[in-house]
Amino acid sequence: MTAVLEVSNIRKTFGGIVAVDDVSLKVPAGEILGIIGPNGSGKSTLFNCVLGQLQPSAGEVRIDGKLTTGMRPCDLNRLGVSRTFQLLQVFPQLSVRDNLILAGQEHQGSMASRLFGRADAGLSDAAGEMIEFFGLSHLVHERAGSLSYGQQKLLDAAMAFMAGPRLVLLDEPAGGVNLTMLGQLRERLHAYHAERNATFVVIEHQMEFVMALCTRVVALAEGRVIAEGAPQDIRRNPAVIEAYLGH
Amino acid sequence: MTRFGGILVAIAAVTAVAAPFFLKPFGIFLISTWAVLTIAAIGLNLTLGYAGQISLAQGAFVGIGAYTVALLTPAGVPFFVAFMAAGLLCFAIGWILGYPALRVQHHYLAFVTLAFTTLVFLVLRNEEWLTNGIYGITGTPRPNLLGWKTSGARDFYFLCLGTLTMLSLATWWMLRSPWGRAFLALRENPIRALSLGLDTRRYTLMAFAIGSSLGGLAGALYAPLVQFIEPNSFSFGLSFNLLLMVIVGGSGNFFGPFVGVLIAVLLPEWLRITQGYYLIAYAAAVMVILVFCPTGVLGLIERTRRLVRHKVTGTPPLTSGAGP
Amino acid sequence: MASFIQLLVSGLATGAIYALIAVGFTLLWQTSQTINFAQGEFVMLPAFFVLAAMNAGAPFWLAVLIGISLSVLILGILFKVVVVDPMLKYGVLPLVISTIALSLLLKESTKDFYSSQAQPFPALVPAIDVHVFDAVVSTQSLAVLAVAIVTVVSLNLLLNRTRLGRQMQATAQNATLARILGVPVRRMVLYTFLLNAVLVAIASILVSPIYLAKFTNGETLGMAAFIAAIVGGFNQVRGAILGGIILGVLDNLSAAYISSQYRGAFPLIVLIIVILLRPQGLLGRIEERSV
Repeated sequence: MTAVLEVSNIRKTFGGIVAVDDVSLKVPAGEILGIIGPNGSGKSTLFNCVLGQLQPSAGEVRIDGKLTTGMRPCDLNRLGVSRTFQLLQVFPQLSVRDNLILAGQEHQGSMASRLFGRADAGLSDAAGEMIEFFGLSHLVHERAGSLSYGQQKLLDAAMAFMAGPRLVLLDEPAGGVNLTMLGQLRERLHAYHAERNATFVVIEHQMEFVMALCTRVVALAEGRVIAEGAPQDIRRNPAVIEAYLGH
Repeated sequence: MTRFGGILVAIAAVTAVAAPFFLKPFGIFLISTWAVLTIAAIGLNLTLGYAGQISLAQGAFVGIGAYTVALLTPAGVPFFVAFMAAGLLCFAIGWILGYPALRVQHHYLAFVTLAFTTLVFLVLRNEEWLTNGIYGITGTPRPNLLGWKTSGARDFYFLCLGTLTMLSLATWWMLRSPWGRAFLALRENPIRALSLGLDTRRYTLMAFAIGSSLGGLAGALYAPLVQFIEPNSFSFGLSFNLLLMVIVGGSGNFFGPFVGVLIAVLLPEWLRITQGYYLIAYAAAVMVILVFCPTGVLGLIERTRRLVRHKVTGTPPLTSGAGP
Repeated sequence: MASFIQLLVSGLATGAIYALIAVGFTLLWQTSQTINFAQGEFVMLPAFFVLAAMNAGAPFWLAVLIGISLSVLILGILFKVVVVDPMLKYGVLPLVISTIALSLLLKESTKDFYSSQAQPFPALVPAIDVHVFDAVVSTQSLAVLAVAIVTVVSLNLLLNRTRLGRQMQATAQNATLARILGVPVRRMVLYTFLLNAVLVAIASILVSPIYLAKFTNGETLGMAAFIAAIVGGFNQVRGAILGGIILGVLDNLSAAYISSQYRGAFPLIVLIIVILLRPQGLLGRIEERSV
């Protein structure tokens, strides 16, 4: 069965610096894969290569078997790939509801239907459901910029899920979130995963979050894969411990 | 839009309709100029304020529209057809110019439009067989629409005002649609917008092409308004002026162009005191405005209002800008 | 053939001047995201500084020094502190518009406060015609070429062989990385502005004897700088040099072989073609944005 995401021998160099060195991964449908590694191990660069933000120096990316290396992020998104960002990227001037409608509107119809159709692109109900799912109902009409950090994180995730993606890449979703919010976030991610059988790939620093959420973990250091396996095994892996302590 | 804003707009609308009955012909000419240039400014505001691209060719598009009408209507083409032709031609040219220029990150559109403006000027000046070169084209007739003769100053003003109203409503509607949300997204955070499936290139190109066609439509009215057009009227100076009008009024604000053009049209009258130094004062003023209130006059009014409301009622002033 | 050599030589001379202007422009963009639309006026102005100094009684060589110093002060330091730094906070767009306004300000001010007439400007060497093979070449073109070549070579040495130059390059390639490596980034950015001021001053002194010092010079020279920078590759200093030379040669050749009415159109068409077919320019790399 073809993997949802297949990364083959990805290599990315910036001038003389090798950020990602011959990394290969296969992510079957329904898996929640965690990617860990110290700062500078190439996790974000790898993400950016998969997501079309960067052009890899070598290697291939396949989504559902289809070659997507270097495809533009908006085209990837329409294939069913979504992402969240490490640095918060909601649209502060729009309301929570409008943020979600925006997240969904480009997935249906055409430019023309968007111009001549309804102002909410028919997505008010879908947005409402997503808002309920993430427990943001009391904030529906608030400007996204006035939400707390944790609430914005939830909104960020909601936006990524709005188009019903098959594959979601989450870039440090737990960063800067307090413990209660963290629990809520993790629980919502699990719920979405269970409901839709979506596939997740998560970059994360916080070990507890990774242990609780992921079904498999890959550890990177200096641009290379140094270990792969179940979360509890990775945690005890000497090479991984060394990589973290060495920094 | 707030109630206060709504009242202001209503007052302005009434003033606009009543004004020609209280003004001498020169005054009517001024407000007709205001109406026509506002159409061009609305177009540039789309490109600059909503899609975040610098176009230095809006004046050239006004020129293309003006010459299209000036050449077609005396040849017997009905005004309405020439009008639409001007708009479509400029849309197509905008698309062709923008398509390659917007593939790259760096504000290449600014340079391409600058080059285009110079090219248009050269063609208008050199191709005398078509454009009469530096001698220009005089006497473009004011249209007769279904029996309504617009040759009188007041009648033609109402034609301009009516066209402005219709085009503004069309633009308002576009901005209320999902397109408006897309424009905001691509202006605020294009990377995030891309990751949500938003084709930023397509939307930017659309904004530029539509903005350019509005310039052409403005030009179509400009020719019968001033009744003498020549290449120099549409050089870089006009493009730059339109740019300043959009900024001074408040770029990205729906009513910005109306205010910006009004100030610019009345300014030469006010600045008669500075004599020849008017351009210097204008350019210096723009730089000062950019430093102290980059959101333009309307942004300044908005900020003052929030400050006043804060002092009076104690509601905290929000620090981000206003939206439509 | 003879006239072709003449055109080639004068084309190289013009191209070398364009190269100087384009290099400064590219460096500013690389190090500080400054798209300086007033670059043309920056080249127009120093000649007037020199003329003003001469009117005040200074001999030519002294006036040149004064001109370069004023350029560094006003077009380098003042420009950075008063225009660029305050505007960069709001992003690239307001800065670009500011420089457009600045170009207008400089142009009109020169017209109103100095003169709207073209002013003769002393040449570096007396204009004698020299015979090279069959062709008649002006010593002026040769002198311009010599000075420009010396400047470009020195610039290259500065950027590639000195520690200061390498730090400036590092800042231009990747400021964040440079900062981590200990490069004093803010100072390097300042130096770029000063360097640009020197380059435009030299270009000004080289070009004004030929075109006369006129307040409208900025329009064509600025356009030439933008086109040269884009054609060569917006993010490459070497590209700017190559672009400038190509543009200068093509410009001179087209003036001879294409109708003079459309002479100014040729560089513009080159620009549009390059952007259509190879937007990253001849030597540029396609840039990427990562998160």
